[in-house]
Amino acid sequence: MTPDALLPVAVLLPLGVATLLLALAHWLPPRLPKVVAILTALAVCGLCAFLARHSLDGPVRHWFAGWTPDATHRPGIVLGIGFQADPASAALAAFCGLLFTASFVFAWGYFDTEHAHFHVLMLLFLAAMVGFCLTRDLFNLFVWFELMSVAAFALTAYPLGRSALEGAFTFTITNALASFLMLAATGLLYARTGTFDFAAMGQAVARTGSDPVLTGGFVLVASALLTKAAILPFHLWLADAHAVAPSPVSVIFSGAMVSLALFGLAKLVAQVFSGDPQVMALVRGLLLWLGLATALVAGLTAFAQRHLKRLLAFSTIAHLGIMLTALAAGTGTATAGLLLYVVGHGLVKGALFMVAGMLLALRQSADEIVLYGQGRGLWAPALAMGVGGLMLGGLPLGLMHGATHWMDVSAAAPAKAVVTLASALTGAAVLRAAARIFLGASGVPGPELLAPTEREREKADRPLWLMAAPALALVVLALAPSKAVMPFLGAAAARLRDPSLPPLTLPEAGFGHLTPLGLTLALLGLALLRRRAVRGVSRGIILVERRSFGALQALHSGLVGDYVTWMAVGLALFALACAGQAAG
Amino acid sequence: MSALSLSALPWLVAAWLFAVGLYGIVTSRHCVHLVGCLTVCQSATYVLLLGIGYVRGAGPPIFYDHPPGTPAVDPVVQALVLTDIVVGAAVSALLLAIAIQVQKRRGTLDPQALRPLRPPPSSLE
Repeated sequence: MTPDALLPVAVLLPLGVATLLLALAHWLPPRLPKVVAILTALAVCGLCAFLARHSLDGPVRHWFAGWTPDATHRPGIVLGIGFQADPASAALAAFCGLLFTASFVFAWGYFDTEHAHFHVLMLLFLAAMVGFCLTRDLFNLFVWFELMSVAAFALTAYPLGRSALEGAFTFTITNALASFLMLAATGLLYARTGTFDFAAMGQAVARTGSDPVLTGGFVLVASALLTKAAILPFHLWLADAHAVAPSPVSVIFSGAMVSLALFGLAKLVAQVFSGDPQVMALVRGLLLWLGLATALVAGLTAFAQRHLKRLLAFSTIAHLGIMLTALAAGTGTATAGLLLYVVGHGLVKGALFMVAGMLLALRQSADEIVLYGQGRGLWAPALAMGVGGLMLGGLPLGLMHGATHWMDVSAAAPAKAVVTLASALTGAAVLRAAARIFLGASGVPGPELLAPTEREREKADRPLWLMAAPALALVVLALAPSKAVMPFLGAAAARLRDPSLPPLTLPEAGFGHLTPLGLTLALLGLALLRRRAVRGVSRGIILVERRSFGALQALHSGLVGDYVTWMAVGLALFALACAGQAAG
Repeated sequence: MSALSLSALPWLVAAWLFAVGLYGIVTSRHCVHLVGCLTVCQSATYVLLLGIGYVRGAGPPIFYDHPPGTPAVDPVVQALVLTDIVVGAAVSALLLAIAIQVQKRRGTLDPQALRPLRPPPSSLE
């Protein structure tokens, strides 16, 4: 069988298995769907890895029903819908398969699945993500985006608890609005280019150059994808949804779903909009600023959280901001860094959400203050959380370290400083929680004492080793040396832009400097050595700190009306940036 | 009305519908009303898409009793609208199902009263 015939199988397999499981759930023994789901995710991972390997020799393409661009006999008119595996897209699809496998193992016995609904929804989710990676058609991309959203909405609401329902409601409203924006953008771009095929659109855009309708289309599609990728000021839904979703689902949300949206945007910018100077100016200007603002604000907010899943959610937002700065830089090296960062961060964040899930199952809470000292003796989760926190904070080892090195190469010094501070804040926040829970070390709680929290628990009757094994496996994978994937990344970053480009040679990521890690440990020490303020000056400082963090918390109110208002503000920001460009 | 202002009309209607829907979502005091407002926002995209595909003086894109090549409106955008109506129905159904469950568990459907995570109890301070 040729690889191009296998391309649609990567999507059809999880879709077909999900349908079959749903139809047969009543008759199957309860364990069978779990085994089938794990095997399907593994098969998708293997298949996409095979496609990634093959696409190094040139892109693998499949046109559905044989509607190739030549079939219409009119040059420039593409009626068919195509899938295309370039190394980057196929590798990310394989990464999704891997993360789903780990999450399915982690979720073994989590749900009392009489009818396997959890596994059906998860497989639909996987199919949508793989389709999102592999498609080369804008409307098709929108359809996978929608399928991904709908599966995610249902999975968030799955436990049917109070918080889960309310979080899912906010999540659904904001992300449904985002998909309307994306549909409108699809229409606008079609109006100017007359096609949905990425390559044909790119040629049309290069011919017409800057055009207000094209810019409008870009603004709408970027707002939609940035909402999914939780970039300031579109980010407010994420912390609620990630904090209330079941842990195995949060693993996928934080590890793959949100960063995949950013990858989609990077692909669109590289393949469709690179010929439009006005759009590229927006990417280099506004998106860079948004990324930096997101990293800083979310890093600070993450540091002031006490609910572990909410803390991790804000850390995800901060790291998405960091990834957006690489997207805005747009060089080949930065793109390679972005691709590796998506994978490295996904592995780490997946493992950390699993640790939160273990604590919810074994100790009935995810609140670091309630859990103080309760994790003694749980060495496996402690190890995963400690190493994960260090990697977020800039440990000079592993995939994230190499990725940061390549993303940094072209960045300006102030931007580098903000990125370092943001990742140190998130790393220190995770390590502080780990020190409190597993070591019983603590200073007086700071602003995190006032953060929102919840009393909840997750189903407990699973052996610890079954939950710890996938988390530790993800951490070990994230520690892999970035040198091993360098040649592949060079090819992937170049071919994301144009399949005919030669592979990039990336600069070797050395040991790097220890500033980020030092900053992380300094912030951790600050949090753990904190003492009650007695004197006048320190009381004043505490008061100011409390007020400013209180304002940050108030921004994340949990009310859907506020969130939608901020989305409108984001759109207005884009409009202002466009107007500013037109004026000068 | 001049031709220019006429061709701008669908764009203005779409923008107006979207803005009205957003206003409704932001100020809504009932979840079901909020879902309705979301549908208004969605209709804005339909108006926009149909406006894009419209060709003056052209017929429907059905060539059963016309020779191929007769001017017709763009069938592609209509296909997009049709696809999205299906997805939109699924989203609305899901939201209404969530609303029913919220009502069962919280006894209220006021979005201003729903917050996923609450501030910590004051006893912990």
